[in-house]
Amino acid sequence: MDAREAPSQRPDTLDITMEDGSNAASAGDSLEAPSNLVPFKDNILPQEESIDLGGAEFATPHEDSSATPSESLMDRLNDQMMESVMISDSPNNSEEEDVAPMDSFLDGGEDLKPAREDEGKEGSQEQPFNQLQAVFSGTDDPFATALSLSEVDRRHDAWLPSEETRKVLISVATQQYSPAYVESSRLTMPGLKFDNLQVDAVKDLMLRFLGEQAAMKRQVLTANSVEQSVIGLKQLVSSKNWRAAVDLTGRLLTAHGQGYGKAGQPTSHTTDSLQLWFVRLALFTKLNLFQNAELEFEPFGNLDQPDLYYEYYPTVYPGKRGSMVPFSMRLLHAELPQYLAKPQEALDRLHHLETICLAILDNLEKGLAEDGSMVTLTQENRQASLKLWRSRLGRVMYSMANCLLLMKDYILAVETYHSIIQYEPQQRVQLLSGIGRIFLQIGDVKMAERYFQDVEKGCQKGGPVTNTTCVLMNRAFVYLSQNNYTEAHATFLEVLKIDPKNPVANNNAAVCLLYLGRLKESLGQLEGLVQQDPTSYLHESVLFNLTTMYELESSRSTQKKQALLEAVACREGDSFNTQCLKLA
Amino acid sequence: MDVNQAKQEHLLALKVMRLTKPTLFTNLPVTCEERDLPGDLFGQLMKQDPSTIKGAESLMLGEMLTLPQNFGNIFLGETFSSYISVHNDSTQIVKDILVKADLQTSSQRLNLSASNSAVAELKPECCIDDVIHHEVKEIGTHILVCAVSYTTQFGEKLYFRKFFKFQVLKPLDVKTKFYNAETDEVFLEAQIQNITTSPMFMEKVSLEPTIMYNVTELNTVASGDDGESTFGKMSYLQPMDTRQYLYCLKPKAEYAEKAGVIKGVTMIGKLDIVWRTNLGERGRLQTSQLQRMAPGYGDIRLSLEMIPDTVNLEEPFDIVCKITNCSERTMDLVVEMCNTRSIHWCGISGRQLGKLSPGASLLLPLTIFSSVQGLQSISGLRLTDTFLKRTYEYDDIAQVCVICPYTSNEC
Repeated sequence: MDAREAPSQRPDTLDITMEDGSNAASAGDSLEAPSNLVPFKDNILPQEESIDLGGAEFATPHEDSSATPSESLMDRLNDQMMESVMISDSPNNSEEEDVAPMDSFLDGGEDLKPAREDEGKEGSQEQPFNQLQAVFSGTDDPFATALSLSEVDRRHDAWLPSEETRKVLISVATQQYSPAYVESSRLTMPGLKFDNLQVDAVKDLMLRFLGEQAAMKRQVLTANSVEQSVIGLKQLVSSKNWRAAVDLTGRLLTAHGQGYGKAGQPTSHTTDSLQLWFVRLALFTKLNLFQNAELEFEPFGNLDQPDLYYEYYPTVYPGKRGSMVPFSMRLLHAELPQYLAKPQEALDRLHHLETICLAILDNLEKGLAEDGSMVTLTQENRQASLKLWRSRLGRVMYSMANCLLLMKDYILAVETYHSIIQYEPQQRVQLLSGIGRIFLQIGDVKMAERYFQDVEKGCQKGGPVTNTTCVLMNRAFVYLSQNNYTEAHATFLEVLKIDPKNPVANNNAAVCLLYLGRLKESLGQLEGLVQQDPTSYLHESVLFNLTTMYELESSRSTQKKQALLEAVACREGDSFNTQCLKLA
Repeated sequence: MDVNQAKQEHLLALKVMRLTKPTLFTNLPVTCEERDLPGDLFGQLMKQDPSTIKGAESLMLGEMLTLPQNFGNIFLGETFSSYISVHNDSTQIVKDILVKADLQTSSQRLNLSASNSAVAELKPECCIDDVIHHEVKEIGTHILVCAVSYTTQFGEKLYFRKFFKFQVLKPLDVKTKFYNAETDEVFLEAQIQNITTSPMFMEKVSLEPTIMYNVTELNTVASGDDGESTFGKMSYLQPMDTRQYLYCLKPKAEYAEKAGVIKGVTMIGKLDIVWRTNLGERGRLQTSQLQRMAPGYGDIRLSLEMIPDTVNLEEPFDIVCKITNCSERTMDLVVEMCNTRSIHWCGISGRQLGKLSPGASLLLPLTIFSSVQGLQSISGLRLTDTFLKRTYEYDDIAQVCVICPYTSNEC
């Protein structure tokens, strides 16, 4: 009596067993590409440091201590360092004067943003700058530049190290220890663990479905086709060729001595090398290669090891204090475990970040410097620092709320999103609407309506257009939850009257049409959008919808999907998630 | 039996897709600060992504709807919705197309099609669409049978069927417990467990009583205009979580007399449960009639009509007892009261109460005071049936809380 369909024809319904726990409610599944663990292939990139990369910024003196300023200057700097550490309570001995960070001059000038946030001329500082003039040749007012840069640095790099780390740093500073004597277990010794990720899934599909000739026409930027520098890296990132970008970071890191196989070997760190690591790990995350990221993050421990602080390199960064680890890297490190089914660990790490942010804000409000030392900051500096750390705290809370949502702890997630409003009041409308959507996901339509009404009340003052569209979108979702697809469709169309190019409204209107039994119309609409505006509509979720409808419509869906593949091939980089084409 | 007709090439293709509610697309935010190497690149990428929330790109839950990607689970009480599409894959015009959709369960066969009339003609590349809904009322195997009959342009009559099998699972586990109070009230505790794989929002859990009872639901705390649920903010049930709902049933006045004489099994009422899941997907179930075994009262039932909760130390208070003759014969009763260490009866012990016919009851007001503080149990009533010379003892009839109204100085 039971006849089954040939498996290639979906979406016919098939046998369901009780173990089929996956339900359509978890859209998150569509996000996760299987994490590729691409092991190193023996015959590919050379690992020696003698790669000629052509970019001048990597022949830095950081690696090589012999390139530091002259001996007498060094002695004097060291003396001053010792003084400033031993008399640390004196307000005249602040950390942020004298030396401008050397690497900022070497990175093509991109980081030079002098006096953008402050004009910190602190009269109370009386340090002899004369000796240091020699270092800054050619700049207009090295004093002011140095001061303002160092203000910005100080507030961005401030961190509260753990007790153990603090002790090590103090002993390095007072030269009780030479850095060589710190236990290697407390040092960061990273190295690449994966190489040559550049697999272009789109090209593979083209080979299988469109033939070799068509596949040859595929043009993407590769790690070889750009400048082997940060500039080239940025090109790859912005053109969405993230796999190529990951490979390029690998090459640049290899030049730093942290290439494949170097994990576990002593090395030294600079701001640049850590930024490269950050970009590499961030790209792994964007590509959903979470295990790769976890493995390469491992040598960094919990980002609190002594050799990740400026104080550990008094010869390279004299006078500089704080953590070299970018705050965004800490955030990435904290968020990662939730994508590896360890959300509790992610929460723990995020709470730790939150604690430190709150401690720093507390210090600032008490009139101290970020790390608690008794330094007088000018009013502008203090305000700028408070602003920075409040926004960082807000970002940490976003991560916590997202993590709680992933764990399906809806009550805590809602509370956390709610508390972000005090840090980001300009995002109130979006946050409240987001909370409303969470309640719709739970099924509590009444509560969702209450939040949406809150949004409406706060919006009535004739504010920006985005507020009106927001209110309409919320209304449409409520209609959806009441099974009123007709009204939902009409409301999405109202959004389009105000904002005709709104991709979300267009997509959602087409989805409503399907539920109303109007498949052809829905298909026509979506297809038209993809053709007219591929930049907006060649997006995973739209393409999932389109290919699903192709399968519902006819048996010749493969041809139509191939047409989509061609459209994708012309414009999408190597990071495109080809699962949505359903051509597997 | 018509099974696979793959041998014959059909001009029409039938496709079926279950329409669960769509889901909201989620993003994975990766951000950096402007001083970091990428500068504002990551920010730009997130802003350009059409599925992020503009102005709050770190918000994970977007607004873009994604169609269901798999069949998912279906539970008893939910509505099965499905899109049925018949597409003309050929190059010729097809005539007289009749599409029928039936749902076959182990016990019955239901017709689900919206229309039963044939479509006159279907041009190439066109399709006939139908969305069917059916509230699932049985557990177990269901088979959706779709039959298409049509006539080719040459007059040939063709026909094919497709079968789609799915399982309907049980969504909730309901356990009930009855508590008999000293009065005629019965308390029902219903334990409801979510045995699905996703959270459920319990929209309504109510007890529909039988004709004999009035129900008071005890699941809201009176506060403000609406009253807050006893479950507070936890408005939804996670998978495998259980909740208890409490109801108080009181027999209606006209049945109160008989309540004491009821023996055996009685029908109390039905639980009506409505829940919602993702984007308002609704489910509804009713239990069968809940039954309660009436407690055995023996020949005479003694219950309390009126008794205060809290009384003062050494102050007499009144109670009213109701004595029901649950036996088949007339009784002539004499009441005796015996004092206990803490309970002291006032009044005349050993008086006659008069004759009591079968099924009848009488009210007996009594006065007591307590000499000990705390929760005291009322004991010491004896009823003797003079006809049979049988004595019935009643101890621990009820509890009362005895407090001392004086402060320690005055006491």
